[in-house]
Amino acid sequence: MQTLNRRQFLKLAGVASALAALPRAVGAATTPARVVVVGGGFGGATAAKYIRMWGDNVQVTLVDTNATHISCILSNLVMTGALSMSRITLGYSALKTNHGVNVLQGRAVAIDGAGNTVTVSTASGNRVLPYDHLVLSPGIDFIAPPAGAWDANLTPHAWQAGAQTTLLKNQLAAMRNGDLFVMTVPKSPYRCPPGPYERACVAADYLKRKGRVGAKVIVLDANASIQAEPVAFGEAFNVTHAGMIEYVPNATVQSVVSSTRSIVTSARTVNNAKVLNFIPNQKAGAIAAGLPLNAQGFVPVNPLTYGVAGYPNIHVIGDACAVPASDNKAVPKSGHMANSEAKVCADAIVRALAGEAPDDNVTTNSACYSPITARTASWLSANYNYGDIYDAAGNVKGKGMHRVDLGEADIIGGDNYEDMFTWADSLFADSFM
Amino acid sequence: MQHKLFLPIALALGLAVAGSAIAAPPAGRLLASQCAQCHGTNGNGPGFDELAGKSARELRDELLEMKYRGRVEGIMDRQAHGYNDAQIQLIADYLSAQPGGGGGD
Repeated sequence: MQTLNRRQFLKLAGVASALAALPRAVGAATTPARVVVVGGGFGGATAAKYIRMWGDNVQVTLVDTNATHISCILSNLVMTGALSMSRITLGYSALKTNHGVNVLQGRAVAIDGAGNTVTVSTASGNRVLPYDHLVLSPGIDFIAPPAGAWDANLTPHAWQAGAQTTLLKNQLAAMRNGDLFVMTVPKSPYRCPPGPYERACVAADYLKRKGRVGAKVIVLDANASIQAEPVAFGEAFNVTHAGMIEYVPNATVQSVVSSTRSIVTSARTVNNAKVLNFIPNQKAGAIAAGLPLNAQGFVPVNPLTYGVAGYPNIHVIGDACAVPASDNKAVPKSGHMANSEAKVCADAIVRALAGEAPDDNVTTNSACYSPITARTASWLSANYNYGDIYDAAGNVKGKGMHRVDLGEADIIGGDNYEDMFTWADSLFADSFM
Repeated sequence: MQHKLFLPIALALGLAVAGSAIAAPPAGRLLASQCAQCHGTNGNGPGFDELAGKSARELRDELLEMKYRGRVEGIMDRQAHGYNDAQIQLIADYLSAQPGGGGGD
């Protein structure tokens, strides 16, 4: 060790040490620490805000391709026309003015993990941003179907909100008597476990309210059963929307031809649907592709830091990460959970910059409301605590985020519908303002 | 020259490994931040019931009642099950010390 000069030591620490970072006072007493956050959805926005709030004058740069973030949360109500797109469009100006976050519009295209820089392609050329910690919150990318000719502009997934939502909204509005709205539920894990079932409900409700006689929603689920709120959505499918929704489990997608809105699955083939809302299987956003990935294409992380194995100062949060959890009790990919994970990551980064170990008294949670009709909604609640995690047989398999509670609404009612907006607006504000 | 440079690093490292108390975050801050998705940053709204500035005892007792009363009346009864009693105390203490309108309720 004594033969190392300072520069060599820092380089080693950055690449190979178990310590996430040296105390800033050692290497650069006068230079503030720099954190770059890639992806300005719920995870990235929250991370940028909380690192500014909690850190000691940390320079934070938030990078996103778009000038605003359009929330997937509530976007099914934009599809039905109940809400406007502006209602779910979240800007970054409050992060700048309230919290001093630097916002850079551009696409992160390359990470130099050894050199601690990230390259961002912007309208005025490439910019190379140095960082002490890099937080990636890139969301999801899609996996193409095994065969056919898939074109998301013809058969919108609307699983990233914005132009895709408008496409699907217009297609739903064009449906007439006897038309079929065919949608898929991706193989788990995917973004927002209740989301596809919620969409089926509000699409069916829309068609009913418009008096589209004989129109139906067919749900082709790649999974064996409903993946979230099985009681609420079971009731919604079998009672509330009886005759309007046909649920088909174990429907593995084999081929999609977008031009004819045709889909072949292991359980059902539909040709020439009026609307084909093919929501593909998912993996981590593209910028994470160079990092270690699990079999599903997501980045395994340390649940106390969201750090990535082999990259001590790179963190992945939100839908793109895979959190170690007990078998059959996975941590859901949701905007609410991304916000939750961002705070754990922010706290760990602030501690690392001060030379401290991460806190291990860590919890995360997800809570959400799902509209079932134009006036009613259900809710879902899930809590995770850091500690032992278990395999399916109940044996301890390691440490991670163990699900300590899970519940859903026992009454699908109007109060929940009102509460849905209180929840969403609170989450929007905690993340973006 | 190299020895001079190395010394302060070694000292700082020693502190870091020993878990120094440099700028230690307030106890309960991270736990309580997990309430903010529905109650606003630092429990200060917008959202459901404003929590900032409420008495720690009231916050703790309400959370414990929701956790242990044995029936679930709403989403917050479920969320209260997500924390052990020590965590609930830390959350209550932290939120009670935040400036806000919760104390006026």
